[in-house]
Amino acid sequence: MTDFLMFYAPFIVLIGSIIVAFWSATKDGPMRNKK
Amino acid sequence: MTLEIIGISVLWMFLFGYIIVASIDFGAGFFNAYNILTRREHILTNVIERYLSPVWEVTNVFLVFFFVGIIGFFPKTAFYYGTTLLVPASIAIVLLAIRGSYYAFAMYGSYGHRGYTFMYGMAGLFIPASLSIVLTISEGGFVSMINGNPVLNYSSLFTSPLTWSIVVLSITALLYISSVFLTWYANKAGDPSATKLLRKYALIWALPTMITAAGIIFELRSHNAEHYTRILDLWWVFGLSFLLFLGTVWFIWKRRKYGLAFVLLVGQFALAFFGYGVSHYPYLLYPYLTIYDSFTNEAMAISLIVAFIAGLGLLLPSLYLLLRLFLFNKDYVRGNKDHHA
Amino acid sequence: MGNEEAVFYSRILTELTLSFHILYATIGVGIPLMIMIAQWVGIKKNDEHYILLARRWARGFVITVAVGVVTGTAIGLQLSLLWPNFMELAGNVIALPLFMETFAFFFEAIFLGIYLYTWDRFENQKKHLLLLIPVAIGASFSAVFITMVNAFMNAPQGFDLVNGELININPLIAMFNPAMPTKVAHVVVTAYMTSAFVLASIAAFRLLKGSNHVYHKKALFLTMKVGLIFSIATAITGDFSGKYLAEYQPEKLAAAEWHFETEENAPLIMYGILDDGEVKYAIKVPYGLSILAHSNPFEEVKGLNEFPEDEIPPLYIHYLFDLMVTIGVGLMFISALYVYAVGRKWSFVETNWFRWILVAGGPLAMLAIEAGWWLAEVGRQPWVLRGIMRTEDAATTSGQVDIMLVLFAGLYLILGVGSVVVLRRMFKKNPVEQEIEDRRKEKGGDFL
Repeated sequence: MTDFLMFYAPFIVLIGSIIVAFWSATKDGPMRNKK
Repeated sequence: MTLEIIGISVLWMFLFGYIIVASIDFGAGFFNAYNILTRREHILTNVIERYLSPVWEVTNVFLVFFFVGIIGFFPKTAFYYGTTLLVPASIAIVLLAIRGSYYAFAMYGSYGHRGYTFMYGMAGLFIPASLSIVLTISEGGFVSMINGNPVLNYSSLFTSPLTWSIVVLSITALLYISSVFLTWYANKAGDPSATKLLRKYALIWALPTMITAAGIIFELRSHNAEHYTRILDLWWVFGLSFLLFLGTVWFIWKRRKYGLAFVLLVGQFALAFFGYGVSHYPYLLYPYLTIYDSFTNEAMAISLIVAFIAGLGLLLPSLYLLLRLFLFNKDYVRGNKDHHA
Repeated sequence: MGNEEAVFYSRILTELTLSFHILYATIGVGIPLMIMIAQWVGIKKNDEHYILLARRWARGFVITVAVGVVTGTAIGLQLSLLWPNFMELAGNVIALPLFMETFAFFFEAIFLGIYLYTWDRFENQKKHLLLLIPVAIGASFSAVFITMVNAFMNAPQGFDLVNGELININPLIAMFNPAMPTKVAHVVVTAYMTSAFVLASIAAFRLLKGSNHVYHKKALFLTMKVGLIFSIATAITGDFSGKYLAEYQPEKLAAAEWHFETEENAPLIMYGILDDGEVKYAIKVPYGLSILAHSNPFEEVKGLNEFPEDEIPPLYIHYLFDLMVTIGVGLMFISALYVYAVGRKWSFVETNWFRWILVAGGPLAMLAIEAGWWLAEVGRQPWVLRGIMRTEDAATTSGQVDIMLVLFAGLYLILGVGSVVVLRRMFKKNPVEQEIEDRRKEKGGDFL
């Protein structure tokens, strides 16, 4: 378990966060309705 | 071919690349500054800016590549050169930093100022001067070992005629390389007045380059006889280089085939540079360090070479794309379109 | 100059160079991804505001990248100039990622040149966006490779040292050392996080200064969302780093957490001051350290009592740890609050006091980056290469380091002031309202 957290999980978090960042970036509903 | 030879050849190739692209860059900056100070900026500024803008960052990488590579292939150089070069290399870094950043500041931030332009132009001459000191030191005689640590003897370095001739060569060669290239580039850009001016510069700097280069070989005779003899053994390489030099001058003189003239120039410097390198073999620093006793372990050497080949596979197509989009793109070179962010 | 002085000044100069370089390097790693996200959203939603956002960010990025490049060249050479003994050993074992870093950087530089000079050159915007991918990859991989070298300094492996001779060298094992994954991931996500909050600061500042344009609102919302995601990722990878430290560098963890005695059920000490070896005014989180170190509240954590006196890092790194964590967690909460509040249409996010907090976010994130690196580097002392080479044995014997320190301090001052002045001028001269207006004229009516 510790090995997993130390060796693989960091890269999973890194790549996962990039993907989520792209996905969330398109969710700009609140900025559109205001116009 | 041993791993040592492959390693040093790769590094020497990149150093050669740096010398050519940096010379063009530094020389362009100098000519630009000179013309602005003599109130003729309109002639050259346009051509120079169009060439330099997309490639300025790439130039620097050649140098970084060389000094990172030499630590990788020949780690002992870190000990010998790292200790002795603290002052000259630091000065070069500061000049490179000022020059590189102000280029971006002026270009993209419209931070144009005559004082900076002047500094920018002059820094371009001092950088090769301070970097060329490394070649002088490598000839030996300026470093002594005190308590097992290498120490640079500044007074003998700065009073040696060899030092100053190498400095002068670095500057004349830079102006010559730059003006030949820019003549071609201005001609391609369809700018006759810039072509005319740059052609004049090319012809002015051709002879001094050759004289200082010959002078250095002469001075080596008394400074480092071993190296001098090895240069004479390779006389035909330098002779061939001289023939290419004549070819370049002839084409420039006749106002014909500027592109070919530049290719001959690259050939001339390549022959001279590799001739110099081969005659320097096997020493990295006379008489303390050769490529054999400073070489890294086999595993590292092989992995570096593999990384190098893989890296080249990535870089060459990218460089080709860069050149095709800018250097060899008619619309871009002629300034018909500006797509800068 | 005695060698002690040379060591001292070499340390100061390296610290100065790294502290200055890391500001620009962090932005240099993060901003390309931000530009990419903005341009991608712009293309996907056919929204010119995002495209313009990407374009203006790219323009500013050039200035920071220039300073990043030249200071990066400086640190690259200074490593050999100031630490020749270290580089001689490192060259033998860890030169591979250093070498690969130059390739990554080369790749980035080429495509950055192309990207910058091909705006509007392609009919299809997507092609232009494609050119940005190598820039972002090159930038991030530069960070990955350099961090691998730093990780190696913390957990050296891939060689054997027998009678001062290096044998059995394996560059790949050296590269993939145990410190590498946590360090690389933490460095890269914090670079993204910091870049997002820096860009958010700018947008918030424009809104504060009276511009009420939806362009800035979109910019702020976008960067805060991205900042939130990467700050969560930062916290997670930070937690992994704790587990790594507990196993491989327990003295660093113990010094950072003021954990003096080995014990089970170890509490986490937050804040406080150290007075004559006694911790005062601290908050103790029960079981906190055991959880951080082993994901188990009852497990034993090694304390400083297990290490020889002269191998313990300076204890002030605890303050750096506190600073880093407080800022990181604070930014995570602020951005979460902002994103939630915008979704809920709560109006306090439009008030001046809240926007000032957002403006502070960028500089604070930078401060956290600095604190994190000081923690990482000071926390490794007295070693330059943990367990193998002490810092004082690695330094140059050259006598002019103090003069060089003055020289470089002057250089960084010029570069720092210069880059700020240029960036301000660049955007002042060409405000976004003006540019949107110009683009509208250029394109005809179909512009937002």
